[in-house]
Amino acid sequence: MTKEKEAHLKETDLLQAVVDETDLSASLQEHLKTCRLCRSEKDRLELALAELGDRAEHFAPSPGRRVALPVGESTRRALSWYWNWRRTLVAGMVTAVAAIIVVYGTISVRNAEEAKLAALTQEIWEDELLMTEISALSENALPLFCSDISGESYPDFDEDFMNFVVPSTEADLVSSGGGGVRC
Amino acid sequence: MAHLDQAPSQTRMSGTGGQVTSLVERARDGGREAFGQLVELFQEPIFRMVYYRTRSRMDAEDLTQEIFVKAFKNLSKLRDPKRFRTWLFRMAVNRVTDFYRKKRLLAIFKTRDHDSEADPKEVERRQDPSALDDVIKEEFWKHVTSFSDNLSRREKEVFFLRFMDHLSIREIAQVLDKSQSAVKTHLYRGLKKFKEDPSLLQLLEASRL
Repeated sequence: MTKEKEAHLKETDLLQAVVDETDLSASLQEHLKTCRLCRSEKDRLELALAELGDRAEHFAPSPGRRVALPVGESTRRALSWYWNWRRTLVAGMVTAVAAIIVVYGTISVRNAEEAKLAALTQEIWEDELLMTEISALSENALPLFCSDISGESYPDFDEDFMNFVVPSTEADLVSSGGGGVRC
Repeated sequence: MAHLDQAPSQTRMSGTGGQVTSLVERARDGGREAFGQLVELFQEPIFRMVYYRTRSRMDAEDLTQEIFVKAFKNLSKLRDPKRFRTWLFRMAVNRVTDFYRKKRLLAIFKTRDHDSEADPKEVERRQDPSALDDVIKEEFWKHVTSFSDNLSRREKEVFFLRFMDHLSIREIAQVLDKSQSAVKTHLYRGLKKFKEDPSLLQLLEASRL
């Protein structure tokens, strides 16, 4: 009888058995299987714990409202498709606008360059014309009617003719034998 | 009682493992309806789990809502669909912890916390516990509170998850991210205190008779 009592599960073993029976030593597990007293003690505790769970469940209220989920995945996907479609459209439009700007810009730049070149050519031509006029003026600054007066416009009035019209004073000095008055 | 490393009431409260896995896979692929079925299966256990810890129906409803919305948004992050149940409970445990953290912080600053306002129906019931069921209910929760106040935070969590939420030791280890031996240690300590609390034990034994 004493031996049998000693072999009974201690309280620590009993609690250990409730936590996890397989954690007990093989001999204690064997004892638990065969000893009605230990078995009932363990069952008593386990029943109280089961009762605790059942009562808690019984005495807890039921949820008053159903869980409301946010926008569903399918809707989100549809929205995302819609946004993707819109994004593609916008991207396409932006690309098209960018292409138009580039093409227009290139043409504009080219046109501007051509216009610039034409203007430059015109300017060079005008400069050349101006330089020609300046050169002409530097050769003969007098206007044409002044040239008529001065006789420059008459090619027959050469130097001999002019000497004839207005003789040189040097010739007078030679003819008077050096005794003349010198101016 | 079935072996405690198993969760005997899992089927009763949250469908078969295969069914849940299939629903999780479908929900993960964007199946709103499949997630709706998961809500059907798990709303009550999660609501109860939160209620056991907050003892407020309103808070439990709000927190349950938040937990499922979070689960819905983060379902793609769940690698193993078989672990949905423990993943959901883990989320719930964390959310309840956050709830109490916030409550403590608000208590420090003495800010009126609208969330913690008592459910009017509950207040009414407390003031007029005319029905016998209500009296028994009051008595039961009073004893549970008294007992759980003697447990450490971890002991209480493990004890509640095991005996009130019916999770297996392996599941509790996954929920709390602890080793199974650590869970067993906390459970052992909690059980010791439970056995040493004659009032709760007597109440439970008496109600069984």
